[in-house]
Amino acid sequence: MLLEIAGLTKHFGGLTAVADISFGIDKGEIIGLFGPNGSGKTTLLNLIAGLIPASAGRIVWKGKNIAGWQAHEIAAAGLVKTFQNPQLFAELTAIEHLMIAGHLALKRRLGWRRIATLIDPEYRNNSRALLERAEEVLGLCRLASARGLSAAELSYGEEKMLGVAMGLMCEPDLLLLDEPASGLGTVEIDNLETVLRDLKAHGTTLCVIDHKVGFLRKLADRAISLHHGAKIAEGTPDQVLRDPNVIMAYLGRAHAAI
Amino acid sequence: MWQLIVGQLLNGAIVGTLYGIVALGVTLTFGITGIVNFALGVFMMLGAYAAWYFADTVGLPYPLAVLTAVVVTSFAGLVADQALFRFTRNNLVNGLLVSIGMIAVMESSALLIWTSTPKEMHHVLPGVFAFFGLVVPKMKLVVFGLLLAVIFATYAALTKTWSGRAAYAYAQNAEAAALMGVPTSRLQTGVVAYSTGLAGLAGALYASLYSLEPTLGSLFILKAVEAAILAGIGSVAGALLGGIILGVTEGVGSIYLPLAFRDAYGLVFLVVILLFKPSGLFAGRR
Amino acid sequence: MKQGIWIAVVATALCVLPLVFNSDVALTILVFSYLQGMLAVSFNLIFGFTGQLSMFHAAAFGIAAYATHLFMQHLGVAYWSATVLAAALVAAVSVVVGAICFRFRLREFYFAVVTLAFSEMARLTVLNWNSLTNGSLGINLQEKPPLWLPGTGIVKLESTLAWYYLSLVALGATLLVCGRMVHSWMGRCFAAIRMNDELGDTLGINVFRYKLTAFVVGNMMAAVAGSLYAYFLGSLEPGFLSIDQSLGIVAMVLLGGRSVVAAPVVGAFVLTTLPHLIHFSAEIRSIVYGAILIFTILVMPQGIYGGLWQIMRRRHAA
Repeated sequence: MLLEIAGLTKHFGGLTAVADISFGIDKGEIIGLFGPNGSGKTTLLNLIAGLIPASAGRIVWKGKNIAGWQAHEIAAAGLVKTFQNPQLFAELTAIEHLMIAGHLALKRRLGWRRIATLIDPEYRNNSRALLERAEEVLGLCRLASARGLSAAELSYGEEKMLGVAMGLMCEPDLLLLDEPASGLGTVEIDNLETVLRDLKAHGTTLCVIDHKVGFLRKLADRAISLHHGAKIAEGTPDQVLRDPNVIMAYLGRAHAAI
Repeated sequence: MWQLIVGQLLNGAIVGTLYGIVALGVTLTFGITGIVNFALGVFMMLGAYAAWYFADTVGLPYPLAVLTAVVVTSFAGLVADQALFRFTRNNLVNGLLVSIGMIAVMESSALLIWTSTPKEMHHVLPGVFAFFGLVVPKMKLVVFGLLLAVIFATYAALTKTWSGRAAYAYAQNAEAAALMGVPTSRLQTGVVAYSTGLAGLAGALYASLYSLEPTLGSLFILKAVEAAILAGIGSVAGALLGGIILGVTEGVGSIYLPLAFRDAYGLVFLVVILLFKPSGLFAGRR
Repeated sequence: MKQGIWIAVVATALCVLPLVFNSDVALTILVFSYLQGMLAVSFNLIFGFTGQLSMFHAAAFGIAAYATHLFMQHLGVAYWSATVLAAALVAAVSVVVGAICFRFRLREFYFAVVTLAFSEMARLTVLNWNSLTNGSLGINLQEKPPLWLPGTGIVKLESTLAWYYLSLVALGATLLVCGRMVHSWMGRCFAAIRMNDELGDTLGINVFRYKLTAFVVGNMMAAVAGSLYAYFLGSLEPGFLSIDQSLGIVAMVLLGGRSVVAAPVVGAFVLTTLPHLIHFSAEIRSIVYGAILIFTILVMPQGIYGGLWQIMRRRHAA
């Protein structure tokens, strides 16, 4: 079990955004997180990635409890999250974004010896290797044509893919994707699906939130559904989507055969 | 001994209302524009020198001189806003830098015009008020009362009048307020005029109690910002309380610690509050 | 490669300059310019590249200046050892101040205010600790630092010419260190922090560590500048730590430009030379600084260097 969540809870004052959620993610699977707006999906991912502190519960990653760790420590441990609203570096081009995202990989390759690159920039070929990897990831995400475009010049779809690309540069074991397909057109969604399947084939585990039910149903191996912060169903995507509780959550009692 | 303490307490409270009124200007500007306007210090200095000029050189009766000073300062504030700060609304750091620049220009100009020789205004209300063995100059009590009145009037205006509540709504959510028909640019201009006017009032009243130097603004604004942050920047009642807390601490503290430390209390408060309770002591309340 | 040639040309020109301009006055102005340049460049590391508006820079400068003298006087160490100790002291203080500020994740504006508060505390300490610092009267420094030169042995740095080369080397070293940091993975971390530190955090960049690094290294370079400046000038005063001094540093960086490591030197040069060409009283100088601040922010945010760059690029494109 790569990631194990037990009793995870988050209160914002009087509001319980995430209520006692428990589940596990195995290496190599794609988990889909379903749920209507406000069900706590993004908060759940933010908790796992260390962006907000949990009120209660355990998050066990590769056997260690990471609740309370800082975001960059969690990223360094192989657990990386992308943003729903693309977060970018305003002044930089796409390739420069990936160079920055390559920091973790550099840290892993050189360790504390990376200080040496301050004296000799090409120490152990570091910047060339970094650039090569960045180009590779760019190609993988079908962003090669946007290489030299600055953040302001990218289309919304390209911005979202860049977010995924940056996540990839961190060489994650588990990539948490917060609505990667929202706002994308059909061609871009196909692109995204191919990229994500590629990732799975290369051994990256994925946990994806999305509202595009069809997209996620095709992609995910297993699914979990949330409602009002609690887990209401778990199983294969088809099982979950046919679960009456889930249907009630999305469409209301009349549609659920209860 | 207790007389000394009570005396310092009273003195501190009075100085505190001066801090408080400038802090009110700081807090109002922050609520509406998101900028902590350090320049209010030089506007206070401008108000002080204007009052002194109109009262002593032009010969206007003191209350009229104060009023004129307030008008002059308000107007200067509007000019500065339109010419400079209008362009830095979105960038706090740029706004701070432009403020710093403007402060340097105004303070040094004042130094050139009036030199660093302290100017004293003639006594407006000589005489003291004696009670329980304490002696308080009458003018100080008048200033105290006046400032309290203005602060309460501001509070009332913010909560009771439409423009006041519109301002508050805008401070909470600018976009929504604009969609509701709140005239936002007029609001921003209004707040600028009002807060610089408040600073000018503080300065004009300051002139009746203390001697004037071009650097009085810098000393005061730091205290005022400290008071505003102490209370919770955005809290109107807090501005007054923060000012008084600061004034009293300085006053009482100067009994026990050398005078050199007086300016340090506020700094320490500032650092501690910003680190541990950045929303201020009275945050959450209005 | 082309950049390397430019650097070599400029460096050579500056080295040869005293042979052409033999005027003591001109050389003195240049020494001040180089030392102020060190201040500006090191400040830019913190402000322009990492995006933190620190109002502590003048304090670092002043603390080191006083500390150098005090270490020499009370511990009996030689000048250069005292300078190193002063830099270490400033580094320690910076670690404390920086750790406090960054641990609590102060947003840019509040960071400026808190560093200002610390700077004022330092200044008040220097101003009031009369037994140690002679308060507002300042201290006159009679000593001149010694330097070991090949061939001549130990020489007391008394001539302006010697100071010229010393300060030029010091500035060069500052530029080298800053340049290396900025054009490396660390510089990329700084840039990430400046533009979107939350994103940097999720990409594995330890934001606290790199903000602190920029802050401490920048302050240490300011410290060295302070030690040199005080002994060149020949006196110490609490004004070294004043807000006016900080204001001057910010003005130099904004005027020169923030985007290139060496750009602030242009600003330092202009602002140091100007008062000597046109005799300014202290008040007029403040007015000029203030006006420059306003002008550059509103009209020319890229500074002189950035502005020239844009003009050159447009010429190339056309």
